[in-house]
Amino acid sequence: MSLHNRFVSDSKDKEPDVLFVGDSLVQLMHQFGIWRQLFSPLHALNFGVGGDATQHVLWRLSNGELDNIRPKVVVLWVGTNNHGHTPEQICEGIMAIIQVIKNKLPNANTLVLGLLPRGKLPNPLRERNAKVNLLVQEAVSTLPHASFFDVNPGFVASNGSISHQDMYDYLHLTPQGYQVVCQPLHAHIKSMLDKPAEN
Amino acid sequence: MSADERNPAAVAQPVEDAQGDGRWMSQHTRFVLECKDGEPEVLFVGDSMIQLMQQFEMWRELFSPLHALNFGIGGDTTCNVLWRLQNGELENIRPNVVVLWVGTNNYQHTAEQVAGGILAIAQLLTSCLPKAKIVVLGLLPRGERPNPLRVKNAAVNEFLRSWLPRLGRAQFLDVGRDFVHSDGTIVPQDMFDFLHLTPLGYRKVAKPLSYLLHQMLDETPEERRASLV
Ligand SMILES: [Ca+2]
Repeated sequence: MSLHNRFVSDSKDKEPDVLFVGDSLVQLMHQFGIWRQLFSPLHALNFGVGGDATQHVLWRLSNGELDNIRPKVVVLWVGTNNHGHTPEQICEGIMAIIQVIKNKLPNANTLVLGLLPRGKLPNPLRERNAKVNLLVQEAVSTLPHASFFDVNPGFVASNGSISHQDMYDYLHLTPQGYQVVCQPLHAHIKSMLDKPAEN
Repeated sequence: MSADERNPAAVAQPVEDAQGDGRWMSQHTRFVLECKDGEPEVLFVGDSMIQLMQQFEMWRELFSPLHALNFGIGGDTTCNVLWRLQNGELENIRPNVVVLWVGTNNYQHTAEQVAGGILAIAQLLTSCLPKAKIVVLGLLPRGERPNPLRVKNAAVNEFLRSWLPRLGRAQFLDVGRDFVHSDGTIVPQDMFDFLHLTPLGYRKVAKPLSYLLHQMLDETPEERRASLV
C-alpha cells in the first residue's frame, strides 16, 4: 500500500510519455542501468510491485495510479504470479486491465508483454505462461488500442533449460537478461511513440 | 535460550514447491555444484537481501575480487538456510569468512525464535567450517513507516548482539543505521519496495561490510603469507 500511495503521489508532478506497470519484472527493471539508459530518456514511469497478480494491478489502476497522468503508451507486464488461475482466467484479467486503461486513458496504447518462461527445467508454469501468451495475443488482435509484444529472446536452451545467467532465480532477470529483453522493447516503444495512431 | 530443537526457527526445512516450477531446489542444486569447482574465500548465505546484492555492480566491484560465492535465495527463512547448509552447500568448500543474512522472512516466529534460528545456523557453520569466521548481518528495518516488523527485527538484533560473542568466531554487524529518517520513514531511494535495497542502499551496507571483510581476511595466516610472496 505504501508503494501504491507513492505511485499515486509521484504521478502528480510527472508527465510521463510511457508508463510501465506490472509485477517484480517491471519493478526490478527500474533498479538496473538499463532503465536509465533506455527508458528514462523516453520519460517513463515505473509502477511495478513485486508479487502482483492481475487483480492487484487492476485494483491499483482503478484506484488512482492513472488519475493524474496522460502517457501515450502503457507497457503492461503481469500474470506470472497468478498462481491457481487458469490461462483463460489470467487472459481475462489482463483484458480487464486493458479495459480500465482504455476507460481512464482513451488515447493511450497498451502494449502487453508476453509472459516469460520460468523454472530451470520444463514445468507446468512454462506451459501455462505460453498458453496465456497465445490467448492474449489473439484477444488483443481485434483491439485498436492494444497490442502484444513477445520479449522472450529465446531464454530456453535446446536442452530445455534456462540459464541463471539470464534469470538468477529462474524467474527474475539478471542485468544481462534485461539487456536482451529491453533492446527490442525500447525500439518497439519508440516506434509506437513516433506513430501513436497506428496499431 | 539457545538454538535447541524446540525452536521452530531452528528446524531445518526445504521450501515446498508450491508454485510448481521447482525453482528453489534448482537454485540449491546449482549452489551444491558450485561448491565442487569453486574455492571461495568468502561465502555469502541468506535470503533475497544476499541474492540481489549479486545483481548489482557493487558485487563485482567489492566482493567478487574477494573470491566470493553467493548462496542467497529470495524468501528463505532461517529454517530453509539451515536445510541448505546441511544438505551440500558447505561440502568441498573452505571459506575463511561466511557472511550470513537471514531472518526478515521468518513471519511465523518470534524475535527470540528468529535469533535462535540464526544462532543455530552460526553454530552449524562453526562446526562444519572450524577455521571460518562468521559475520552475521543485523536485520534491516522495513516498511515505509514504523510498524511491528521493524520492532521485531530490532529485537532480533538485540538478541544476536548479546548471544553471538559466546560463539567466539561469530561477529554481529549492524548495517541498518542509515535507513530510517528522523521522521520515521524509509525512502524508496534506499529500499525500492521498503524492504529490498536499491544500488544506493547496498552501498550503505557494503561499506562497513567490505571494510570488515578486508580486516578479517588480512588476519588469516594464509593471507598474510600470500601477501608476503
Ligand atoms: Ca491490436
